[in-house]
Amino acid sequence: MSGFATGRSERRGPVALTLFLLLQATAAIFFVGDALADLIAAPTAPHGIFEGLVALALILGVVIGIWQLRQALARIAAQERALDTARGSLADVIEHQFDQWGLTPAERDVGLLALKGLDVAEIAEIRGAASGTVRAQLTRIYAKAGVSGRAQFAAWFVEDLLQPAGGT
Amino acid sequence: MTDAARPASGGGTIVPPDPWDPLVRITHWLVAVAVLVNGLINKPGGTAHVWIGWGVLALLALRLAWGFVGPAEARFRAFPFAPRAAFAHLRQLMRGTPREHRSHNPAGALMAYALWACLAVVTVTGLVMTDAKSPVTIAEEKAAVAAGDWSVLAKDADSHDNDDDDDEEGIGELAEEVHEICANLLLILAALHVAGVAVESRALGRNLVRPMLIGKRHS
Repeated sequence: MSGFATGRSERRGPVALTLFLLLQATAAIFFVGDALADLIAAPTAPHGIFEGLVALALILGVVIGIWQLRQALARIAAQERALDTARGSLADVIEHQFDQWGLTPAERDVGLLALKGLDVAEIAEIRGAASGTVRAQLTRIYAKAGVSGRAQFAAWFVEDLLQPAGGT
Repeated sequence: MTDAARPASGGGTIVPPDPWDPLVRITHWLVAVAVLVNGLINKPGGTAHVWIGWGVLALLALRLAWGFVGPAEARFRAFPFAPRAAFAHLRQLMRGTPREHRSHNPAGALMAYALWACLAVVTVTGLVMTDAKSPVTIAEEKAAVAAGDWSVLAKDADSHDNDDDDDEEGIGELAEEVHEICANLLLILAALHVAGVAVESRALGRNLVRPMLIGKRHS
């Protein structure tokens, strides 16, 4: 889940690259204008030819900058897609497991809220139920899942993610 | 609750990117500032005015190049020039039921093309009016004249004598006329654009400015 940590700084890279690209493009436009004026005034003067070369280099820099920005944005888009898929499949895994355990619709909701880290009072408030009811539902969920309590219940889903790539 | 908790992106709904890519965002706001400053604040024909005009030329060139090679939503193909679709969209908007699009909506696209056309005309006529002299040259010439060296002006007059004088004058005046008309048109279009964004944001129930500024907050 390192995607969460790198997400922010990854997104700042393209902004910096864009600002640099803009600076380069502005410089290129000025230099091209200047070089063109010089070349028209004196087509064979070394000064004009040299300026033309510099202008060409600046334009090449802009083209490469555009290409790099494009690559960076494509990479970030791919990462976000992968992260979304991971989130989506974790949700699927949870749904599937709740089915296996035979949780009732009410228990599924409570179980999901518990997995999100809400405590009994918060779950009770969201569901408009007494905290005693929620506590009883949680106990039934733990019993059906065969876990000792909330920590083990959450660990049940995280465990799969922590397994080394070679394991099942 | 379970449904609301699912990631929205899984549903395959079509919405414009949030945020837009940095090149689209930064060129958008820099052009906006440039139009306001050159159109309303600084002295027409001044060195700053010319500097900014050249800068806009660079921004415009970059954004147009991005329209061919940028990410899918930034490409022209994602928001084609389609006046009919634009009016259809405006009709939907008046009924309060605009459709979502994956890039600019057709009316927004039409506005973007209109604004770009105006920007192109204004910058090119600006170049004609200044004989395509870079702001550096203009500043140097102004400094020279201020220091009492009038030869620059004489040289200008010479070159005018050599060419067809009437033609040059005619083109210059025409350029100035077109420059002013298009600059005013640009300001009017910009105001319409802002109004359009406000109306569309209301109809869609979502802030359209935010994706152009910073984008949504990620977890």
